Amino acid sequence: MIQFERFTLENGLKVIVHRDTSTPMACVNILYNVGARDEDPEKTGFAHLFEHLMFGGSINIADYDNALQQAGGENNAFTNNDITNYYLTLPATNLEVAFWLESDRMLSLAFSDKSLEVQRSVVIEEYKQSYLNQPYGDVWIELPKLAYKVHPYQWPTIGKEIDHIKHAVMADVKAFFHKFYCPNNAILVVSGNVTVDQVKALSEKWFGPIPPGNPPMRKLPAEPKQTQSRRLELERDVPVDAIYKAYHMGGRMEQSFYAMELLADVLTDGNASRMYVELVKNKKLFSEINAFTLESFDPGLFIISGKLSEGVTLEAADEAIQEELKKVSLAQVSKEEIEKARNKTESSLIFAEMSILNKAMNLAMFELLGGAEENNKETEKFMKVSEVDLLVEASRVINENNCSTLYYRSKSKVNGNGN
Amino acid sequence: MPAFGKQTKIDIQHAQESKLANGIPVYSVNAGTQDVVKIELIFPAGARQQGLPLIADTTNAMLEEGTTKHNSEEIASLLDYYGSFLETSAHHDYASVALYTLGKHVSKVLPVLEEIVKEPSFSQSELDIYLTNKKQRFLVEDKKVRVVAARNFPALLFGDNHPYGHATKIEEYDTVKRDTLQSFHKTNYSANGCAIVVAGKVKDSVLNSLGDSFGGSNWKSADAQLNGKTFEVQPSAEKKHLIVKEKAMQSAIRMGRMLFVKSHADAIPFQILNVILGGYFGSRLMSNIREDKGYTYGISSGIVYLKEAGYFQVASEVGTDVCDKALVEIYKEMDKLCTEPVPDAELQLVKNYLRGNFLRSMDGPFALAERFKQVWLHGLDYSYYEKYVATLADITSAQLKDLAGKYFQKDSIYELVVGNKKA
Repeated sequence: MIQFERFTLENGLKVIVHRDTSTPMACVNILYNVGARDEDPEKTGFAHLFEHLMFGGSINIADYDNALQQAGGENNAFTNNDITNYYLTLPATNLEVAFWLESDRMLSLAFSDKSLEVQRSVVIEEYKQSYLNQPYGDVWIELPKLAYKVHPYQWPTIGKEIDHIKHAVMADVKAFFHKFYCPNNAILVVSGNVTVDQVKALSEKWFGPIPPGNPPMRKLPAEPKQTQSRRLELERDVPVDAIYKAYHMGGRMEQSFYAMELLADVLTDGNASRMYVELVKNKKLFSEINAFTLESFDPGLFIISGKLSEGVTLEAADEAIQEELKKVSLAQVSKEEIEKARNKTESSLIFAEMSILNKAMNLAMFELLGGAEENNKETEKFMKVSEVDLLVEASRVINENNCSTLYYRSKSKVNGNGN
Repeated sequence: MPAFGKQTKIDIQHAQESKLANGIPVYSVNAGTQDVVKIELIFPAGARQQGLPLIADTTNAMLEEGTTKHNSEEIASLLDYYGSFLETSAHHDYASVALYTLGKHVSKVLPVLEEIVKEPSFSQSELDIYLTNKKQRFLVEDKKVRVVAARNFPALLFGDNHPYGHATKIEEYDTVKRDTLQSFHKTNYSANGCAIVVAGKVKDSVLNSLGDSFGGSNWKSADAQLNGKTFEVQPSAEKKHLIVKEKAMQSAIRMGRMLFVKSHADAIPFQILNVILGGYFGSRLMSNIREDKGYTYGISSGIVYLKEAGYFQVASEVGTDVCDKALVEIYKEMDKLCTEPVPDAELQLVKNYLRGNFLRSMDGPFALAERFKQVWLHGLDYSYYEKYVATLADITSAQLKDLAGKYFQKDSIYELVVGNKKA
């Protein structure tokens, strides 16, 4: 349960304040309502590249990090398919420095050519580090492409291909900024050892003068219902075969999300979970197996991924996963199993509220998704999922015709060289 | 820029020490707003005590895999039901078993912690599954240049026979025997040498329950091997090493040198020097190699303090085509610290940043417990932090330059590249 207050500036900036006096720190989180899903299909990876450029100097402040570090602060940011989120923590006594910094880069960037040139290289190295130079790294490029044919979730946040990043030019950067980086497309959350009056005054002072923009209404094409099983086989230089199965499910605020999150727990979270016991321990078909949702805002994916034990074929592994899933949709998950999953979720939500940063991020996300108060309904929403709800949702989602399956084969195995 | 304060006065909430009836020290940090508790049991059961490879890791991990009363699944089920979870880890000098739980469930789940610590069964079938799956994971990890570099770098400084330096080999998983785990457990997971750190809402009832579970004298070991043997450091004769991964698109770089233990007089000043070089986003390595040249997504330097040694290392992953250039720049940055005093503005910035960071590092009960551990594990006490704050206020550019001259000489630096050095 997070207590908060909310107000909106005249320019449309939404501000949320959560006071926590148990800490000497303050956290400032700004969410911009733009993610990779808003990109031009020919210029993907741009929301994320842009996030890097937000640290390349703003209109009146040459070096964001330098100034923040002077004030004892630390910051970072992330971009995903749905949003771009910037956050910092600093001693609460220096709160105004954060307002100064964040308002200046919302007002305007410096648009430095050098920064664009360097960050293009940095992001290309990031692309290699996270996707291309990692075993199984390109799964997160290939699997979304298989599962989504229409919706922009078909490309990863980093971009479809390195060339899209290489070809980004300053005109794109400026257009992107003016389109999305305006007060009426942002949510500011301040948490920690602060007062509402203080945050109100600082918000008016620093963000108040920024003129509103015209952020576009989001009109994304809905992904049509998948009616046929999709399959892809890749052969790569990895030591162990792996399988990935992605099923379409509901969006973040739909009941589907809560049910599928719990199902993921029931299936693979911990030593007592169904698939872990059955497929890793008893049948020894997998060395590891994981079920999870991508937590995306629009209708998302429920994914099961597993690395195969030596000597197990991908076909046998696939069949075993389907058999376990069939058990879920045939018979109800037991009351005890779901109770365990709910209790675990309740507990993890309480642990998550130990950090002012987590609290600020969650308030910002839920404010965008329908209202910050939704954050405080999370536990209840999980607790309300019954065995029947879980069964109904699992039966709807878990279906081969709704599934994209990726067989990720080890090249060394194919060539008959076990090592 | 708006005015800002400098956080000159920082109070640290100290851990309170008490003792169980059998003498086990309990250090508790009662803080925070949420009704949660973390109970961590620390044992002298790390790599330094293990004798044979992988014994410390495997013993620690197998604690969750079944006891004489419950199998692995039943244990997990018991904890899951209360939304509690375990975190086991083995380190170079010690091993730890931590339980996280809501305060209201402490008395329900503490007996589970007690059982896994005192009565693990080390079932042969569970051990076989564990080792087989660890080997599979090892093969996957071995494809990551970063992991290979991290695994092999300490061996250059300590030698492969030293527990701080040993790089695990895949065939070592086949040498792990059940009875070795059992005897290691018997001697090293006992009341002798055990310490408990508790953080969160620590009510008296929590401390009482700890006494019930762990305060008895029935789990002392007669032949506790608490401190491990002494090992000879055998650094590599060659300074520069390359492990070729033909198809790599990036090379992982690790470079660094042996330092000293955390109680050494240079420890705190060197920590500040390290931050300037590569310990924060605005560091010289980041500014030059990422923000100016775009050779990498990230580069950092850090200090690893172990109980009987310490070392310094720079770590990064860079495009293979710019690997040589990156190496040149890293040496250049170290050299610059040896020859040019750090400008006042930069030093002031780092001091401010570190004061803020210090405050941040003590935010919340778990962080406070970590601050306690990070001195206590090294035989230090809270006066270390007072010294840290004082050094931060007083240290000068001239001192830092002398220090760099002492530790950043190019010929003292070991270098490991995993990947390749061509375009």
